[in-house]
Amino acid sequence: MKISRRDFLKWSIAAAAALKMNLDTDRMNTVLAAETDPPVIWLQGAGCSGCTVSTLNVTNPTTIDNVLLNKISMKYNSTIMTSAGETAIQALENAANQYKGQFILVIEGAIPSGTKNTYCIIGELNGTEITMEGALLKYGPMAKYVVAAGTCASFGGVPAASPNNTGCKSVKALLSGKTTNPIVNLPACPVHPTVLIQTLLDLILTGIPTLDSNSRPTKYYSQYIHSTCPRRDANDASAPGKYGCYEHLGCMGVYCNAHCVNTKWNNGVNWCIQSNYPCIGCAKPGFPTNPLNIPQ
Amino acid sequence: MSTIVIDPITRLEGHLKVEVTLDSNNVVTAAHVSGTLYRDFENMLINRVPKDAAFLTQRICGVCPVSHAIASAKAVEKAAGFSPNLQAILLRNLVQSSNYIASNILHFYHLALMDYVKGPQMSPWTPGYSQDYRFSQADNDALVNNYVAALSIRRKAQEMGAIFGGKLPHVANIVPGGITANPTSTDITNFRTYLNQIQSFITNTYQADVNKLAAAYGDYYNVGKGYSNLISFGVFDTTTSGNPLFPAGTVSNSVISTFNEANIKEFVKYSWYSSPSGQAPASGTTSPSYGKAGAYTWLKAPRYNNVPYEAGSLARVWISGDYRNGISVMDRHKARYVETAKLATNMQTWLNQITPGASAFTNLGTPASGSGAGLTEAPRGALGHWVSVASSKISKYQIITPTCWNASPADDSGNPGPIEKALIGTAVANSAQPIELLRIIHSFDPCTGCSVHVMSPEGVEMSKFIVQPIGG
Repeated sequence: MKISRRDFLKWSIAAAAALKMNLDTDRMNTVLAAETDPPVIWLQGAGCSGCTVSTLNVTNPTTIDNVLLNKISMKYNSTIMTSAGETAIQALENAANQYKGQFILVIEGAIPSGTKNTYCIIGELNGTEITMEGALLKYGPMAKYVVAAGTCASFGGVPAASPNNTGCKSVKALLSGKTTNPIVNLPACPVHPTVLIQTLLDLILTGIPTLDSNSRPTKYYSQYIHSTCPRRDANDASAPGKYGCYEHLGCMGVYCNAHCVNTKWNNGVNWCIQSNYPCIGCAKPGFPTNPLNIPQ
Repeated sequence: MSTIVIDPITRLEGHLKVEVTLDSNNVVTAAHVSGTLYRDFENMLINRVPKDAAFLTQRICGVCPVSHAIASAKAVEKAAGFSPNLQAILLRNLVQSSNYIASNILHFYHLALMDYVKGPQMSPWTPGYSQDYRFSQADNDALVNNYVAALSIRRKAQEMGAIFGGKLPHVANIVPGGITANPTSTDITNFRTYLNQIQSFITNTYQADVNKLAAAYGDYYNVGKGYSNLISFGVFDTTTSGNPLFPAGTVSNSVISTFNEANIKEFVKYSWYSSPSGQAPASGTTSPSYGKAGAYTWLKAPRYNNVPYEAGSLARVWISGDYRNGISVMDRHKARYVETAKLATNMQTWLNQITPGASAFTNLGTPASGSGAGLTEAPRGALGHWVSVASSKISKYQIITPTCWNASPADDSGNPGPIEKALIGTAVANSAQPIELLRIIHSFDPCTGCSVHVMSPEGVEMSKFIVQPIGG
């Protein structure tokens, strides 16, 4: 019997789990970046490329050079790919068709929709403009998994904030019920690189993670920031810039489910509350609230 | 006569399309640069708390968020009649210059270099062109190795900035009143450890690689010259009274002049807006009109004294006197290196001036009313935020970004934008692989997320409180 490397890896993980063995996780994460592998197609809508930049900052589970060279076959990401114009769009088409039902579609940014869909054009195929909305509706159902990277793609975020004159919507609002598997939301502004890269590897190796009612992996979003915040028991700070708890200053960590206490940011060097400012709730549905910090 | 359409232009931030017309000798005779994403930041900011704008406007651009936070904080501070202390100015400088280094290195190695070097033969570096790659296999391999090394250096530059900024992209603590970081001596030591390593890469590797590129592609000192008009708003104050490391100014016909904000106007004849053309930023209006006859972009055409100007590193280092070799594709790359090296040197000085434990933040409260301008420079060039506050809420907010200048369309007099002008006259050797055009466009490091971000509600006349766009 011939089995693929991926099947072998999956079998290895299952067997190791059954035997309670410790695995070399980096090895298990190494999923053949070979050209034959189910690839990642990454499309950018109404966003700022901050999620792409954040992803380049990844250190855990590994650094971005290792991700791109050895773990994930990145067929399309307009910020980092070499090809441009028709060559790039043709590469997108080819990858989607060749790997139909197998590829992972990552969406960054919200999606201008309906009569406003011309507010985001991602390229042209045979002289016809492709709207971001059109691309999402075309490639979303062809993908095995759809990942909304960041708060804009997950919940609409900043581009969809009131008055939302550009008709921006989340991935789920446009694609719900049209995908092979449940959409995976990875909110935060930007997406945390560990959360994104490890989720992509988890999808390839073990499939859809356990998701909560907002389609977020429970692995990263089951706790409010406040519930494990190292300043939870500190005295109330009199103002931003002072050490202490910011709950009474409207810290949104009280309402925001996210991983920041554990992951911190930028290779663990810092995070928002540690830099002496209240959490603005950037991973929360409804971000950005007005005001960003709502004292109780 | 033939045309070439490149849509999307990749390896930049945002959504950009370029269409050029070629004559029978394959020389570009006309060029249209189009921004194809439209957002709505100014309207979103109305009726919000002034200090929140420093967070929201960072989300215009994930590549240069720090400059937006600083421009916004400065505008609100002006409205409140407040000046931050020296510790705040220096910490902001250190976070902003960390962002500059990350951005300039990202640009050279990861956005521009693949126009000259063949990457690993796999996605996302394939497919690609085969036209005019001049490096030997050994040099090509060495540059690819440095592309990989630079991935780590630009990441570390972001980690360095996060030590004082909380996180990157999108810092957590630059707000009106200063910056809430309260560095310990350990933070300062950690910052210096990063800075020393990054500075070593800049002086040893980045410098050598830029020179290697310039040696192999020396003809690009004569390609993509454009208008040779340069503009800078000035950046990196060194004292509480200003004295920026890179001063404000303009350059035209090699003559340096004082910058005057009053000389800016924006034109929309070729933009998808039906509002009046030729308005000053502070009094402009905008009504979107996608598909307007003759128009081809969401970007407006800002002009200084009615003339197109180029913004970016080259403008800054020319005005500061650090680099005045010329204006071209290759000069833009060299200028970015010169700027990056100068910043790293000055960061050491600024870091030495930081006092551990000293406060860099004053709790301003919210100004009840007032207005102010926050001018600075993003890595890509001149950036301005203008805010008006009434009843403690934002009543008007306007932004002009660097790529507004560079990627603008023709103005009402028919003068093409700076990138368009730089493309005109270029010979394309192989119209199926227009690598010359990509090299010119990338040399400007365009960022279109920054450049298009405003609109008015459809069919609604803009009132005096609804912002207008400058945004273009």
